[in-house]
Amino acid sequence: MKQRPSAATALKLAIVGLAAVTFAVACAPEEETEVSYSIAVFVPGVVEGSPTYEMLVDGVRRAANERDGVAVRVIEGGFNQAEWSEGLTSLSATGEYDLIVSSNPSLPEIAAEVAEDFPDQRFLILDGYGHNHESMATVLFNQREQAFLNGYFAGLVTTHDGLEHVRDAGRIGLLAGQEYPIMNEVIRPAFALGAQTVDPDIEVDFRVLGNWYDAGTAQELAGSMIDRGADVILTIAGGGNQGVIAAAKERGGYVLWFDSPGYDHEPGVVLGSSIIRLDTIAYERTLEAIEGTRSFGVSEVVGVREGYVDFDTEHSLYERHVPSDIRAEMEEIVGRLHAGELELEMPRL
Amino acid sequence: MIANSLGIMAPILIAALGGLISERAGVLNISLEGLMLTGAFAAVVVTAATGSIVLGLLTGVLAGALLAFMFSIISIDFGSNIFITGLGINLLATGGIPFISNQMFGTKGVLRFADMTLLPRVVFPFDFRIPLLHDLLFGHQIGVYLGIALTGLVWLGLYRTSFGLRIRSVGANPEALRLRGLSPERYRRIAIILSGIGAGLGGGLLALRLGVYLPNITSGRGWIALVAIFLGYRRPVGVLIAAFVFALAETVSMAAQGIVAVPNTVLLSLPYILTVIAMVVYSAARAGGNRRARSPR
Repeated sequence: MKQRPSAATALKLAIVGLAAVTFAVACAPEEETEVSYSIAVFVPGVVEGSPTYEMLVDGVRRAANERDGVAVRVIEGGFNQAEWSEGLTSLSATGEYDLIVSSNPSLPEIAAEVAEDFPDQRFLILDGYGHNHESMATVLFNQREQAFLNGYFAGLVTTHDGLEHVRDAGRIGLLAGQEYPIMNEVIRPAFALGAQTVDPDIEVDFRVLGNWYDAGTAQELAGSMIDRGADVILTIAGGGNQGVIAAAKERGGYVLWFDSPGYDHEPGVVLGSSIIRLDTIAYERTLEAIEGTRSFGVSEVVGVREGYVDFDTEHSLYERHVPSDIRAEMEEIVGRLHAGELELEMPRL
Repeated sequence: MIANSLGIMAPILIAALGGLISERAGVLNISLEGLMLTGAFAAVVVTAATGSIVLGLLTGVLAGALLAFMFSIISIDFGSNIFITGLGINLLATGGIPFISNQMFGTKGVLRFADMTLLPRVVFPFDFRIPLLHDLLFGHQIGVYLGIALTGLVWLGLYRTSFGLRIRSVGANPEALRLRGLSPERYRRIAIILSGIGAGLGGGLLALRLGVYLPNITSGRGWIALVAIFLGYRRPVGVLIAAFVFALAETVSMAAQGIVAVPNTVLLSLPYILTVIAMVVYSAARAGGNRRARSPR
């Protein structure tokens, strides 16, 4: 009698089949044309779900599409910071790429080390500063201005008497995924400064999640902040941001977003959002590098004045949910920063 | 404070109770984390599609049970090592969910749906205003009541039914069960599936409170649940206490972040330290009690 395959065998086959398909998809070659300039985008993490890395990849691709014969390859370095150096080294070692583009505050240091071994490799690092290595160009966003704008907006919200979830505790919150130098010495004080520019008595409740993904714990932390009187919370906690939204929905409160427009995450709850135009600067600097006009060995800081840091006041949900007097005051403060009437220099850390 | 702790406790407790059953049947199920993750994903997707929390939770349970069933096939029928199988299930969940999510929704990241129904708080038709007791009893998430009810149910099942006796004897002495003409494999399989049900429900409750699914949403809660099984001396009430102590420590560390002048990074490790201290004190007291009971008068 012919034996029928057992359920177990079928399961085994299914697993092997699934693995084979995944492998085949992963190995599918990209389209190839005549390549005169080759760019590797090294993503220290994964692109999916990270608005800043999406902007990075988008900007570089846009620049590449403007010129013929430019190839772009995106390499995801994963979340393990210890492996980034290895990733950059092996990319440089291939000698295939005219330019390696990346974005992360810890990348300049790593790239500078790699550059010692591969002096011909060019690096463009965004959202990072320093290490004026001759083959590296870095661009840092003025996060002091950015956090100040968030703080100023939070101050306007918490002192406003026409918003549903505002109580009179005069308290605002900041949730960070982790503590790091720019968080402790730039973002946190600038956020407080912004709020206290509106009202010197406003207190900032600062909490740390301890990682960038645990939304369940972020929900409890934000809940505890709201219970202690924080009506509006700026969340810079990666995946944890979702927990802050859930807490604000559950208990009544407002959320502020950082880096990318967050209004669509929860209309009416995410009330304000500061933005960095990482896609624009990635596009512009990459294009300059392709054309050979970009000078390396330079570290630049860009902010509101240069148009790369802003507060997103254009979104329809912002107009719908934010009272007009707050909107007017935000326009004014952004205008003052833009005109250089108000200067907030980014400290060198 | 107590209400917050109970909320944190619920998913961990429910997953741990399931894990307890399989541990008592002699299978240490280290895939609780992956099973919770699967339950969370299934619950969010189905709740979003149907608008029904109940259907979502049931699907979470079913997904956990199915994956646990697969665990049982690999470990019992193929005879593979349970730790390797458990690791494999965890890897399958962390790798497979983004794959499925990408196929279904075009994203491997955060899954957020418009007008998502959130887990309701339970409202009782009666209430009374004794401050501490009121906080202890009322206004919790549904998971808290479920978790406590399930603790009772698992206790009853394990210690007051012949089924529970068999589950426990599979773990303690499978040969005895075989001699009585019963199949230890069958009871092991049921126990593994029950652990999948618990983990799937725990994961579903966690995700539906948030109303979103995101990668690593469980963030080690499955592992904490596994630890709670042993800290709780492999007994349902012990597991309840262990899960609560951990949750209370976490709540204390969160509240302290806003008040105490200790670096937040130090406070973040407090739950782990406090849990270990509490359990050491507890076991020391227990050992002391046992010695006194045994010492000749």
